[in-house]
Amino acid sequence: MKSSLLLSLALGVSWILSPESLVIAGNISGQTGWLTFPSLIGVVILYGICNRLLRTEGLPPAPGREFLILQHGGGSITATTLCLTACLPLTVLAGTALLVTAGYTFNEVFLYWFPNFGFSFLLLALLTILQLFRKEYGLWLQVCFVGLAMGGLLTLSLCGVFSPDKPASEILRQSTGFSFSSASLLLLLFVGHSTSLEQKARPSSPALTIGFIIFFLWILASLGHVTPEKLATSTIPYMTTARKILGDPGRQLMGVVIICGTCGALNGLIILTRDIVDTLSREKTVPSFLSSKKQRWFLPFFLAAAIGTCMATGLAGDELLESLLRSALILWLLYYSLLCLSAVYWVQKVSASTPYPALFCTLLLIAGSITLVVGDPRRLQMSIFIFSVLFTGGLLSTCWYFIIRYHKHAP
Amino acid sequence: MKKLLALLSFILFATALPALAADAPTMSKEELKSRLGSPNLTILDVRSGRDWSSSEFKIQGAIRAPGEQLAVWSKHYPKDKPMVLYCA
Repeated sequence: MKSSLLLSLALGVSWILSPESLVIAGNISGQTGWLTFPSLIGVVILYGICNRLLRTEGLPPAPGREFLILQHGGGSITATTLCLTACLPLTVLAGTALLVTAGYTFNEVFLYWFPNFGFSFLLLALLTILQLFRKEYGLWLQVCFVGLAMGGLLTLSLCGVFSPDKPASEILRQSTGFSFSSASLLLLLFVGHSTSLEQKARPSSPALTIGFIIFFLWILASLGHVTPEKLATSTIPYMTTARKILGDPGRQLMGVVIICGTCGALNGLIILTRDIVDTLSREKTVPSFLSSKKQRWFLPFFLAAAIGTCMATGLAGDELLESLLRSALILWLLYYSLLCLSAVYWVQKVSASTPYPALFCTLLLIAGSITLVVGDPRRLQMSIFIFSVLFTGGLLSTCWYFIIRYHKHAP
Repeated sequence: MKKLLALLSFILFATALPALAADAPTMSKEELKSRLGSPNLTILDVRSGRDWSSSEFKIQGAIRAPGEQLAVWSKHYPKDKPMVLYCA
């Protein structure tokens, strides 16, 4: 029981500890100053209410809970489309971006002579091989990755919080503006936090609580050491802050956080994708050969090939990757919002009363997703990508649905 | 046999490419360091995407000029003054 809680936690915080989340947290804290704290509390309360809704008694238990709730709300095709489009593009694009970042970090912090791309491909190969072993091994290694990243980040945060460069009163005067679109970006920090391996539903999400503590301390340390202008514009605010807090040892500690955070995030995303595909395969809404029960190697190799192709073809060196990755994160947010909306519908039907706070939070999540697209200068590119992915996912799900129906009714 | 010859020719051509570019002058890091801040020197960081954003090392005073936008930014710099382009 305790081990399943630990493993769920390790999966739930995998994205929270990724370099991408640290960049988003750093940039937003620079843009909104101390107002980041109330915004962060608001986002955590919002997700907390939605999580409580998803764990309402009467809703199906894990695993496969998400698919069944979505299926109840919008049918099999919609549920399959949303599940696939939430995890596959995110795993491939985040994998590409994070591995490249880890490669640069290793090259610039630890070994100058080691090629950054070589390190990225090495990590990809090791994480792919890891998927060939039993799922438990991957999960326990996930605990190690996440534990190291969390330990390093908390050490840096606590050092920064207890020895700030400027007093708290100065941090309070640093507010540089608040906007709904920058607050919406905070929603992207908690991707995948609701992942749970526990059969019994827990009223609160431990990953959300841990994530809140980590970001609260890290943002406090960042604002106490680096100017808001620098935080808002830096592409690696985590490294700037780490260097300011502990000098070169801080850089090295942050290097460990980035590499372990990348391994944790990618391993977590692959495990999450495999779990979703296994559920879909069990429900016969995707071909059974995709399931890890049938062919353990297929999906990890497919994902690794996609990530490797993206890296080798130079997507990492293209600005396009940033807008595609942001779109993939929004697709996850959209999936989560619609999951909550379906859960509201389910609860309303079962208990004959509408859970208004959860409905309000769900509508806020949908508004946040729309704001993230509309408020971004790359909105056209992002909209095209989101619609293309949803269309392709929908088409594939529909085709498979009718193939299965045809085989069922064939003599 | 034909395939093997074609492959060998391709490898030879690929390895000869850097030699073709060898007449582009290079500057040692010591020389560049000594000339940093000079008004006659333009330093351009031609990295783009994650290659640029993930890197901690950016030369002070360097102007960002992504490689794929060469046609756009190359018009803005004088051809008679030295320009240093770096990508790693």
